[in-house]
Amino acid sequence: MSQNNKERKLHTGLEESARRNDFDMAVYSEQAAERTGFSNYSYWGSTIRVFFQNRLAASLMALLVLLVVFTMIQPYLPRQYEATRVINHPITRMQMSNVGPGFSNVHYTAPAGVELVLTPYDDPEWAAVSNMLLTLRARTPFTVVEYGEQWCLVEVGEQTGYVRNDFSTKLRLPDDPTAVPYESRSNFPIQVYTSPEDYTNQGTELFVRRSQLDIAPDGLSATTRENAQLRLLPNEAPFLFGTNNAGQDMWSMVWSGTRTSLFIGFMVALLEAVIGITIGVLWGYVRKLDRLLTEIYNVINNIPTTIVLIMFAYIMRPGIQTLIFSMTITGWVSMARFVRNQIVIIRDRDYNLASRCLGTGTFRIITRNLLPYLVSVIMLRMALAIPGAIGSEVFITYIGLGLPVSIPSLGNLINVGRKLVTTSLAYQLIFPTVVLSIVTISFYIIGNAFADAADPRNHV
Amino acid sequence: MFKYVGKRLLASTITLIIILTTVFVLMRQMPIEGYFDNFDKVDQAVINAKLEQLGLRDPMPVQLKNFFAGLLRGDLGVSNRYRTGAPIASIIAAKAPISIQMGLLSMAVSLLLGIPLGAKMARSKSKLWDKLGTGFIVFINAVPAAVYYIYLQSYGSKALDIPMLFKPDSAISWVLPVLSMSLGSIAYYAMWLRRYMVDEMNKDYVKLARAKGVATRDITMGHVFRNAFVPMIQYIPSSLLFTISGSIYIESLYSIPGMGGLLVDVITRQDNTMVQALVMLYASIGIIGMLLGDLLMVLIDPRISFSKREGVR
Repeated sequence: MSQNNKERKLHTGLEESARRNDFDMAVYSEQAAERTGFSNYSYWGSTIRVFFQNRLAASLMALLVLLVVFTMIQPYLPRQYEATRVINHPITRMQMSNVGPGFSNVHYTAPAGVELVLTPYDDPEWAAVSNMLLTLRARTPFTVVEYGEQWCLVEVGEQTGYVRNDFSTKLRLPDDPTAVPYESRSNFPIQVYTSPEDYTNQGTELFVRRSQLDIAPDGLSATTRENAQLRLLPNEAPFLFGTNNAGQDMWSMVWSGTRTSLFIGFMVALLEAVIGITIGVLWGYVRKLDRLLTEIYNVINNIPTTIVLIMFAYIMRPGIQTLIFSMTITGWVSMARFVRNQIVIIRDRDYNLASRCLGTGTFRIITRNLLPYLVSVIMLRMALAIPGAIGSEVFITYIGLGLPVSIPSLGNLINVGRKLVTTSLAYQLIFPTVVLSIVTISFYIIGNAFADAADPRNHV
Repeated sequence: MFKYVGKRLLASTITLIIILTTVFVLMRQMPIEGYFDNFDKVDQAVINAKLEQLGLRDPMPVQLKNFFAGLLRGDLGVSNRYRTGAPIASIIAAKAPISIQMGLLSMAVSLLLGIPLGAKMARSKSKLWDKLGTGFIVFINAVPAAVYYIYLQSYGSKALDIPMLFKPDSAISWVLPVLSMSLGSIAYYAMWLRRYMVDEMNKDYVKLARAKGVATRDITMGHVFRNAFVPMIQYIPSSLLFTISGSIYIESLYSIPGMGGLLVDVITRQDNTMVQALVMLYASIGIIGMLLGDLLMVLIDPRISFSKREGVR
């Protein structure tokens, strides 16, 4: 019923507008006719548009680009340590091992008026300080003049200071320790501090700007003038990811390792593509080679890739080249086979036949007529080869055939870190694994999203 | 059919010989330290005598001939560093059973979990289950196995309150290694089954069945699943055979006395003859598995013709 109503309305409407001369007769125009025959469809334009419709893939792409750019420029940023440099304490020359991660290297902030002891350190800007007055040898007697649960005020000869009262000192105390003064001693060497705080890094000096101190004329003691930042090292560079057992900065190690791993990944992807495409094209286009290359393919494809990887890494000297070589030697095969199958499908299509009849050279047919069809899938395979190569690097390092520790890579950082997984030093495993997972998952998802986008069936 | 099988057997044998020869020749390029357990301390005369005795001074064709002759007798040579003087075959025979047990268990677990997951994902395409499963598959494929194995070991053993290392007698210490080993293949089975089933569901015969009013459940289980499972059968013999090799990661992580840990051990000790024997063993397993897989496919899927293999012209 309503259908009829609508139709009737349309008719009366049309009649009315015809009466009002709303319409002109269309004249044939060549230009307008041409326009309908033209579509502004472009393969790459649509591919990119469909790709960016996938929000997750697009944001991962942005993240990945930022990450890659950052790993490249990281060594040139201010306040960075060199990746493999062992960082020593400037005075004791001990390695800064296993410093926890943090946003600054300020170890303590001392309020104004704290008495500190200066250690001679020749620097116009920085002073080496601690509040350690002296160290008593084991079993040296001293007088406790004020008792506390954590710190006791003691007198030793002329000097007064605070000593710790905990398991590390095990002071010998009377039954009622609050009845001061009394004599006490410890079976361990103990430190006497100027204040009931420990302004040291496990017994070594901290560093503070001279401008934040009032230094006594004798140059041996000082008091803080304001809130003074006592730092681990005489600089402001933080250990964002902490340091490892050897005293190397994990932040720069992780980025340097990411650089190495990405380099291996990109090189493997590139070599696989170059070798795979070259051989694949020959295999598909040159009929005489088909038989031979198919047999070679069957041989190589039959061996588990891990075994080939292990064997070459075992035979050759460990190094980046070895890793790239042994990954490429198995990786090109699947690319070559894929390219070959595609070439076989499209080489005898009519347009190629026509091209050949017109006398186009083989090389030109391959590069102009055949390869453009394959670009998208080749890129997908390269995108997936990168996380694959990074994973293989981790594997090869794990079984002891990877890079030497002097070249940081995500593989050997993880390999070192995995022994610490249950300890408080687990950050040495977590940071490399997080960066690694971000890189590999991003490449994987971007690669797959790109493959979907490159499929013309999705270009609606 | 027999012609096809014969041809396929011949091709595999030739491939095997080529690979074994290549591995053998490559391994001869290794430094000779790998044949001695105390190379630095022995003098030149002893080294020469030993090399002579091992036949390493012979010309390559003679070495190859002796090697293949030994292989036919089941003689893989002796270990020189890992366990000096012990025949490799007996070392392998002692190590293989535990790897096989663990591999079979993990295969059962992954088939039992992976196939229902894949089928469920295909049935609820682009709904919650599919998305969850895809997330799992992406994670397993993209993150290197070493990373999640380590976390699974440390947090899993804490959560279950069991020791981190493996003890063959206590059943609970089998849980984590088997689970870790299965994760990868669960993702693998689920991914491929889902893909094949989704492909299958778009085919005309499914539309016809639906138009005839066959219940969706009967279509998916009776037709789609059965057809989609056929391409996966090809990989089952390989997976079965590869249980021998054990998992390199898992076994050294949990210190399981199996074959995977053995490979890592002999690599770090640079025992050339052992590495050679293991590499050859794995390569042979790969080839035989592939052969059995192809034959099984031919037996099960009547659509595959005997004379031509798919994809190879």
